[in-house]
Amino acid sequence: MIQTLAFYLFAVLVIASAVMVITARNPVHSVLWLILAFFNGAGLMVLVGAEFIAMLLVIVYVGAVAVLFLFVVMMLDIDFAELRAGFVKNFPLGIAVALVLLAELVLGIGAYQAGALQLGEPSGVGAPRMGESNIESIGALLYGKYLFLFETAGIILLVAMVGAIVLTHRPPKTQRGHQNISKQNQRRPQDATVMKQPPVGQGVEL
Amino acid sequence: MVDLSQYLPILLFLFVALALSAAFVFLPMGVSRLTGTHNPDAEKLSEYECGFPAFEEPRSQFDVRFYLVAILFIIFDLEAAFLFPWAVSLDITGWAGWITMMVFLFELIVGFAYAWKVGALEWE
Repeated sequence: MIQTLAFYLFAVLVIASAVMVITARNPVHSVLWLILAFFNGAGLMVLVGAEFIAMLLVIVYVGAVAVLFLFVVMMLDIDFAELRAGFVKNFPLGIAVALVLLAELVLGIGAYQAGALQLGEPSGVGAPRMGESNIESIGALLYGKYLFLFETAGIILLVAMVGAIVLTHRPPKTQRGHQNISKQNQRRPQDATVMKQPPVGQGVEL
Repeated sequence: MVDLSQYLPILLFLFVALALSAAFVFLPMGVSRLTGTHNPDAEKLSEYECGFPAFEEPRSQFDVRFYLVAILFIIFDLEAAFLFPWAVSLDITGWAGWITMMVFLFELIVGFAYAWKVGALEWE
């Protein structure tokens, strides 16, 4: 009963916020609605028992990807009113892209048994669980059967990191000295200060 | 099926938070609407003493290095997320799983060392 109620609450909210992502006039508002959609998607994932996916949605998507989207939206200097002007003209192209994405989704879900992948049975019965919980099963598969793919993911992350640094890092324009704390701590008063006793009427000779 | 009853406090918390935030937003609006006189005009709604009309769009371009920080954050965030299923399934995967994660961590440490070396996170 409560599960059904929660499912309808999350499902309605995720669809409504997804519609708002598309229809909001301000792209920053779109990103905020997208964050709400992510949260509700995480709720749905908890309901189907995929706690790890729910955790990933909140931690990675809400915490990092949404921030990145916000940065992109804020960084691009685009007149969005002008961009929307060609809505009718670009409508067929948009429909075509949407159809391609839908076909990819269908193919991706259909490819639960492709090559070395065995994600389930055609009857809809899931693969037998290896651990007690969802996270344990994921870990057992990811670090057991698919560890090569996992290492490949690590290499891809490394390439992404290096690529982002190479693309965006600029060496600082003014070369300033760095603070060397141990050197600062080693400096003693007798090295830094000099006592002078100038005679009366004469200046200090340094 | 997972025992979902342990999530019930979170759901209740969600409802309480929803009710409280709705109350904080709509209660002052409703009370002020009911108790005060409400006839706005252009002069009343204009900026008065404590502000001025906006000169430009609030959206402005900023330094691309914020973006770099965000990308590095995503990568190390993912790394931490991968650590969690690894830690709970170590008794199933054993040494192979342990070595897998160590190699993965080493890959990211190489990237971290590179970021440190070129000063990607240095701020002027």
